[in-house]
Amino acid sequence: MRSGQFTWQGQTISFRPGETIAAALAGAGIGDLGRDGAGAGLRYFCGIGACQSCLVRADGRIVEACLTPARDGAVIAALEPLA
Amino acid sequence: MSRPQEHRCDVLVVGGGTAGMAAAVELAATGIRVEICEQSARLGGAIHRQPADGSPAAGLPRALGAQWQRLSQSLAHADIVQRTRHIFLGIDSDGLALFEDRAAGTVRTVRAAAVVLAVGAVERIAPRPGWQLAGVTTAGGMQVMMKETGRVPSGRILIAGNGPLPIALAAQLTKLGNPPVAVIESGDPLRRPGAALGLIAHPHIASEALGHLARLAVAGVPWRRAAALTAIERRGETLFATIVDRGGRTTQIGVDWIALHDGIRCNAFGLPASGDAIDSRPLIVRAGDCREALGAIAAEADGRRAAHAVIAALRGGKIARDGSSRRVAGQRMAQALLSELFRPVNLANDPRHLADDTILCRCENKTVGDLRWLLGQEGLSPREIKLNGRFGMGACQGRFCADSVMAITAASRSASVPEDIEQLTGSRWPLRPVSIASLAATETPTADTNHPTE
Amino acid sequence: MGRRQQKSAIVVGAGIVGAAASYFLARSGFSVRLLETVAPASGASGAADGAVSVASKRPGAMMDAALAGVALYRELEREGVLAGLFTPRPTLMVAETEAESAVLDGHAGALANAGVTVERHVGAALRARIPAIAPGVRMAVEVHGEGHAIGYQIVNRLIEAGGVAVERACPVHRLALAFGGTAVDGVVTDQGTLHADIFILAAGAGSAALLGLDGVLRPRKGQLLVTDRAPALNVSLHGSLMSCGYLLSKATTGTPDRSTERRYGLVIDPLRTGQFLIGGTREDRADSGNDLPAVQRLLTDALRLMPALAQLRLIRAFAGVRTATADGLPLIGRAAGLQNLIVATGFEGDGICLGPLAGRLVQQMATGATPEIDLAPFDPGRFALRRQDA
Repeated sequence: MRSGQFTWQGQTISFRPGETIAAALAGAGIGDLGRDGAGAGLRYFCGIGACQSCLVRADGRIVEACLTPARDGAVIAALEPLA
Repeated sequence: MSRPQEHRCDVLVVGGGTAGMAAAVELAATGIRVEICEQSARLGGAIHRQPADGSPAAGLPRALGAQWQRLSQSLAHADIVQRTRHIFLGIDSDGLALFEDRAAGTVRTVRAAAVVLAVGAVERIAPRPGWQLAGVTTAGGMQVMMKETGRVPSGRILIAGNGPLPIALAAQLTKLGNPPVAVIESGDPLRRPGAALGLIAHPHIASEALGHLARLAVAGVPWRRAAALTAIERRGETLFATIVDRGGRTTQIGVDWIALHDGIRCNAFGLPASGDAIDSRPLIVRAGDCREALGAIAAEADGRRAAHAVIAALRGGKIARDGSSRRVAGQRMAQALLSELFRPVNLANDPRHLADDTILCRCENKTVGDLRWLLGQEGLSPREIKLNGRFGMGACQGRFCADSVMAITAASRSASVPEDIEQLTGSRWPLRPVSIASLAATETPTADTNHPTE
Repeated sequence: MGRRQQKSAIVVGAGIVGAAASYFLARSGFSVRLLETVAPASGASGAADGAVSVASKRPGAMMDAALAGVALYRELEREGVLAGLFTPRPTLMVAETEAESAVLDGHAGALANAGVTVERHVGAALRARIPAIAPGVRMAVEVHGEGHAIGYQIVNRLIEAGGVAVERACPVHRLALAFGGTAVDGVVTDQGTLHADIFILAAGAGSAALLGLDGVLRPRKGQLLVTDRAPALNVSLHGSLMSCGYLLSKATTGTPDRSTERRYGLVIDPLRTGQFLIGGTREDRADSGNDLPAVQRLLTDALRLMPALAQLRLIRAFAGVRTATADGLPLIGRAAGLQNLIVATGFEGDGICLGPLAGRLVQQMATGATPEIDLAPFDPGRFALRRQDA
């Protein structure tokens, strides 16, 4: 478990050891995670994977940001292109 | 087809929170082979969420701190297979328990004689205009992130809803140096002396609550009772919350973060039904807050109770009695008192009052108006509402809209017909959306290789 | 019967066939009661793939019926009854091997002979037409004039448009006969015996017990999957992708000696929501569960045709239990010597495509009009029915 950096929409985000993607993004002041395929806004909400509203694309896979540990060098993107 | 005997002694515990850990420890103590699976990277669940950096958790009430010591040490010394980052997908029609192994990027299958489901509660969040906006979280969600990171969100925080959790969160925020601008509470606990007196019989709850309130009082955090947050709007960088107070007067507060919490509910969403083993299907037992949301003290006792039920079913004999059921009953009384103490008096969040354009089902982007339009057809069953309105059909499977959909449906009907919420939420796998790549990467077990554990 | 009053009909079963029959009967002046054991579309109609398609039909009666079925969807969409619920889109039948290409070429010829517009794509033109297609696919036949409809939406709309009274949770226990067993007097329910001038039996598997069709009707399960939304990928696939294996799967209909075998016929349908529907299996089972091997096989097959699906998630799995007949053709017509009873069931996986048509055929029979297609191949009389008239 170590700290590192990933990119969110091309922006470099630092994370601390063991942190989830959601925690690292929140730490960087990023709360708006874009929109999903239904046009609904995405953001951290329940923290336990239940609400499915913090989805991001991490290295090509759709995952809940609140359940997924950040990985050094990961490429994280919004589900749908940001307007 | 008979299965080898050893398969039947294997118990799978789903959920690594208080109830799941307690059940696993109790089962393993009898020599039963136990596997415990947890969705996040560390055991602990919501209450005992461990800091991400591996440092010890701080700030829990003494009784809960002792509980974590007890459970984590017992688990460490027991012969229990622990799997983290395993998302429970359900049990397939052949009785196979399925998990998405997020670390490996595959789906794992487990053939167990019994499955203990201990997946925890979910929070109730009443829909209000703007509840879907970025910057709005559940109180539990904010708490979990705080426990993991040891950090509080920077900027102004507003907490609103109902019950003891908002006060607990407010106290934690205050302790970590960023007290909320206010706590909005739809109940009026100070005007329910009867329920307050009853809590004297439950000193750990009473003293915890008083501790939180004292901290808030010292920090000057207003606890606005009999008030409700009825709408949220984003203007620029600021979230504006509309608050309706006890006299019906409306004010607005501008903040950066809003944490909502309108109670806790048991969580049967999508779960396979409890019941005895039939053919290839395992015995299924629910435990802890997912069965009945009574908090961590009850969850530990209920985990043990579930374990004893499983042991009796697998090994024969009577269900052992160690006072677990009595402890659960005691917590049930305490929770009933808390419910009475916090019974909402400001009913501005009643879903019947919602404007038509309020988002009801966030996953499918469906509004209150969409539901009301559908209810223009008489006599629709919950399943028809689900299919034709798409309520509960999205990725969260109704976890956050089912209660409100049922409430609005009931309000639209003259005769009150008791409806089964499970018709709306269903009980099919996958309980959670699962990566197609992971599913395709899994080797399908054949009947010959259906061994419970390696 | 001589009184000049509104004629009445009781329709048993609120699936797509019963809903359509109710709609057309109500529109031609009948007072209709629609009786349903559970709720509208709670059976096969609510768990279907929604293909309104001629593409996979065998030449002959079924292909002719499907052509009429698709035409009726267009008509009802134009009239406004099904406005917004029928999505025109082609079917893209694909072949991965030389042998499959040969089968597909033959089938494309049969479709063309039946008057269907088909287009053959190979090589660069194929990749341009279907950008997401896997490199291993050799050839595609694009079948024009097809569409997609969601069964439960059609059921809901037809009931609403017909102003039909649905009685939910109202199982029919048996038929009460009159006139020496040559006519139905009523249907026996928990509310007592309900009477009408004519009776329509569209109760799927439930029809068997009422008519003694046990040897004729059998459950056939189909497992189906839905992915989460992927708007860009969804838009890039302009039709329903159907593996040639689907033809081979269908061809095994009516071979009960191999009935325990599970057949797979892959279809990837881009839904209007932005999701994909992936199907399906054909199994001689009556449970509606999903099992991992079937789900995995469907997804593996789907990825072989369309690798980009690997980036998506499976959001829902379900199964429909359809009613199949021993010879693979539905039952539409008068049955068991009962002059005022019309049966319409046994459509298996073609219920969504043929349901509205079946409803209109029922109405044509009930009003003495000439049915718009030849019903001889679907005559229930081809099976010896043992009536259960208690």
